[in-house]
Amino acid sequence: MPTPAISIQNLTKVFPIPFRREKVVAVKDLSLNVEAGHVYGLLGPNGSGKSTTMKIVLGLVSPTAGKTEIFGRDSAEVESREDVGFLPESPYFYKFLTGEETLLFYGKLCGLRGAKLKERAKELLHLVGLESAAARRIGGYSKGMLQRIGLAQALVQEPRLLVLDEPTAGVDPAGSREIRDLILAFKQRGITVLLCSHLLSQVQEICDRIGILHEGRLVREGALADLISIDTQTEIVLENATPQFLDQLRAAAARGGAKIVEERKPQRTLERYFLEVTGGGE
Amino acid sequence: MLDVFLTPMSAAPSATRHKLFSPARIWALASNTLLELVRLKVFYFLLLFALLIIGSSAFVVKFSFQEQFQVLKDVALGAMSIFTWLLAVLSTALLLPKDIEERTLYTILAKPVPRCEYLLGKLLGVLTLLFLATSLMSFLFVGVLYYREQGAIASLGDMPPDEFAAAVAAVKASTFSPSLIQGIVFIYLKAALCASLTLLLSTFASTTIFTIMVSVVVYFIGHVQALARDYWLRDATVGPLTKIFLAFVSLVFPDLQLFNVVDDIAAGAALPMAIFLKTSALGVIYIAVYFLAGYFLFQNKEL
Repeated sequence: MPTPAISIQNLTKVFPIPFRREKVVAVKDLSLNVEAGHVYGLLGPNGSGKSTTMKIVLGLVSPTAGKTEIFGRDSAEVESREDVGFLPESPYFYKFLTGEETLLFYGKLCGLRGAKLKERAKELLHLVGLESAAARRIGGYSKGMLQRIGLAQALVQEPRLLVLDEPTAGVDPAGSREIRDLILAFKQRGITVLLCSHLLSQVQEICDRIGILHEGRLVREGALADLISIDTQTEIVLENATPQFLDQLRAAAARGGAKIVEERKPQRTLERYFLEVTGGGE
Repeated sequence: MLDVFLTPMSAAPSATRHKLFSPARIWALASNTLLELVRLKVFYFLLLFALLIIGSSAFVVKFSFQEQFQVLKDVALGAMSIFTWLLAVLSTALLLPKDIEERTLYTILAKPVPRCEYLLGKLLGVLTLLFLATSLMSFLFVGVLYYREQGAIASLGDMPPDEFAAAVAAVKASTFSPSLIQGIVFIYLKAALCASLTLLLSTFASTTIFTIMVSVVVYFIGHVQALARDYWLRDATVGPLTKIFLAFVSLVFPDLQLFNVVDDIAAGAALPMAIFLKTSALGVIYIAVYFLAGYFLFQNKEL
């Protein structure tokens, strides 16, 4: 059996409240695996334990009980982070650095050096569409640009696993779609993605599997298609169907004992409509 | 846009395997810290220092040359001591709480960077900044002192060669001496010690302002630590609770008074080499101990 990209076993995290006897249970007995090459969506309302789980996986917080592993290596070990790129929610990088300097700095932390590192920084700036802003200081970047440079720094050492916390927060629809396309491209390359997002429509578009956390517990987990499909219903979308043919279809359904639950014109998404109007889809 | 990224994996640069302790990684963090502080324009205070010593130099022209040099050395070394301390405390207090507050720390520690390297990089960045600031102030001070020395020699006028040589020797003896370098080294070590101590405080303090306030209090306690140590070790009349308190002050706080040699050096007193070396070694030990204590707290900190 292949080693999972992330393995979480019986994870519990309890935060004591200073000067009080109470404790907050952020995560309770959580177990899940994220298989290599998958895009996994970790969902849940605010305070459900998503961020704490991510921080434990990244070794930023120690678990009260249980264990997390990245490609088979205990995530408490610094070495496990060789394979991880992380983009936190609303990231702030050093404002005094330019976009290019930021990537060079993070590259050096990953052991990259010299001409190769410079080349890599250029590639990544091109990838996230920030070539023209490479020499500008981060302090002058918009929120969307910060997300993009954050994504670029997460990719600097070619990680096998990307942990993305709300990667499209504050990004305009065109930028949001680019990030979504990038995530799908990562998947094509075999990069595993752990995605935390409140944008459920986006999660639905790109995730293979999801886990839903509520009050620190994993309440649902599985392949997205299995979880959200309605087994007793079938959807058929027809093009150029005449009214006569539709009448025949309704009659055939009635004869066969099936009930037509809903008839409607399919709609494009608001995002697609917006992009068509603003030219962002070109 | 995706074409670049969709090159085969082998074409992309590969990071070197993780090393347990990487000087290159530490220097990347240290140079970044130095750059941060330089771009915060902390070197502007040097202008203030320049104004202070040039102003004091112009103010004392009516005194005898020995008095002129003593006042100049007093003012310059005293100002260097205060400026380097301020620089050490203010710049160090800023680093860690800001990284935590702005979540920059997450992106750094999510890379294969051990926490001790992060902390060491921050400290080395501040120590490099202090070294540069101390060096620049020293050059400025030595420049002004040399200028005043040459002025004093030029004003000696016509004298028989023997008397002139003796007068020049007297002028030179009251300007430059080896103890001046020792004094500058102590100023640097004291500031470095305060930086290490402030870094320790910032590992558990939640804000920059709290770190600065505690660091200032510690600075003042550090100047009376020797007094507390004397009472603790020699005075048998103090009660047990007072004794515990005195022991706490003596063991936890640094003895900063040891590094206060500016007045003696300005007055021309020589500092024995053995005392210089012992005090310097003690300074280095203080820096190391406070760094290790900071590392211990930071290693277990929940982010």
